[in-house]
Amino acid sequence: MSEWIECPIPVHEKLLKRIGAPVYEQVCTTYEGFVLFFRLLQLLPQINTWRWREIWKAIAQIGVGSIPIICVSTAFAGLVITQEIAWHMDKALHTVSMIPGFTAQFILRELGIAIPALLLVSKVGAATTAEVGSMKITEQIDALRLLKIDPIRYLAFPKFLAAMISGACLTLIATAVTLGCALSVAVLRFNFSVLEYLNALRHFIGPKDLICALVKGTLYGGVIPVISCAYGFRCKGGAEGVGNATTHSVVASTVVVILLDFLLTYIFTWVL
Amino acid sequence: MITTSLLNLLHDFGSISLFFKKVFLTLLRTRGNLIPILNQIASISIRSLPTVAFAGVFVGAILVLQFNLILSAYDAQVFLGGLNTSAVVREVGPLIISFLLAGKIGAYTAAELGTMRVTEQIDAIECLGTDPIQYLVVPRMAGIVVSSAILLMLGLLISIAGSMAVAATACGVNPWEFTASIPQFTSISTVVSGMIKSMVYGIIVAGVACHQGYTATGGARGVGRAVTMAAIYTNFYIVIANYFTSGFLEFAEHWIQILGAQAGLGLGKAL
Repeated sequence: MSEWIECPIPVHEKLLKRIGAPVYEQVCTTYEGFVLFFRLLQLLPQINTWRWREIWKAIAQIGVGSIPIICVSTAFAGLVITQEIAWHMDKALHTVSMIPGFTAQFILRELGIAIPALLLVSKVGAATTAEVGSMKITEQIDALRLLKIDPIRYLAFPKFLAAMISGACLTLIATAVTLGCALSVAVLRFNFSVLEYLNALRHFIGPKDLICALVKGTLYGGVIPVISCAYGFRCKGGAEGVGNATTHSVVASTVVVILLDFLLTYIFTWVL
Repeated sequence: MITTSLLNLLHDFGSISLFFKKVFLTLLRTRGNLIPILNQIASISIRSLPTVAFAGVFVGAILVLQFNLILSAYDAQVFLGGLNTSAVVREVGPLIISFLLAGKIGAYTAAELGTMRVTEQIDAIECLGTDPIQYLVVPRMAGIVVSSAILLMLGLLISIAGSMAVAATACGVNPWEFTASIPQFTSISTVVSGMIKSMVYGIIVAGVACHQGYTATGGARGVGRAVTMAAIYTNFYIVIANYFTSGFLEFAEHWIQILGAQAGLGLGKAL
């Protein structure tokens, strides 16, 4: 029997396999991610089957647990963005009087949303894939199936809902922190008064920017657990497999968040 | 609770710095590191290139759309190309590329070294009289730092091309107008400061990931924890380092200009 396995593979077939195997894997994972996403959407209206205790626990873990790291990071981002915009304004228009509006618009539309989302990817995405993946390789998920418990409803759905809720809330917190830090730099370094700054904000940002931020935050929050659970459920081959799945899921989530960001920005540019 | 987490953070920061010092001294004191480092650079760059290219195009496109929204309010679309290029080269490019590297290479390295540690392969290497830091960590760290600069260059080129395409199709700014305002905002020093930033972020990615992997304990669960921690800490430190490198580079650029002016004056007097 073993002779059949050891027969040498021609070079071109090896090459095809090397190209094809990752592509096949990627296509399968994408397909399963979409299936998972639609299953989760189906579960969304069935409010009486929501497991509230799990959802609260997940919100505490995903949302509340990420507040410190997101606050510190976005605070530094707010400090940087004011200085950068001031530098550019000075070069282009030879004035720094536009700082409040430009900074606020950029923060509300992009910066205050993208940085928390990317941090959530690495915090929540990696942890979720590692958790679900190690459940998969220790056959706990098969055990759940055996007990006729739907692993999607039991494991993925609470995380999905919690991540959407905490994505929206964290976006609001991060935007507020970033804007606060941007304001303090503008006041301390560029001699704006606080009232002047806040007054200038009113001409540039309105409720629609806030809606845009909330929609974006919710969607990025929702996308992260879907991708990381899809990678976790496909995980195989021991502890090494979990490590691989975690790496792939973090990269895939980052890329999908960036792609989604582009699409949403494009849509909001025309809609709002 | 806050004090404990702050102490933990400081403890981690200190042990990463000590680890980095050890690796750097090993790199200086040992020979024969060049070929493994080149191998690592090749493998890291090739593995990350598709992701970096894909992300680069879309990041450039997002920035063009946002800047267009702001600038078209003032009829200042002539500055679109310059603003976009400058923002990508100075800030966003290094940041996004190092975020991607943290996910792709950082997590992978942490998982690889962590698995080696918990399956006692690192102890075996030590038993055989080889220095595991030189054999495993030095090539990976040097590879990550160098390839982050290489990937930044490629990513920036692709990103600028992507933004040009989006500016032409969605914002009505043709490529000639787009490139015309670029020299007003960017020069060699901008590109150099972007490179320096991405090297600093590369050092952070490499140091944190290798440290987390190298010191992993507690079986398969420990490897998972190391990977997650590597991903979180890298992004956190990168965003903080962003502030300090920006400040430092602004300061350096200012002094180089002053010193350059003085040197020019001195040269003028001498002539």
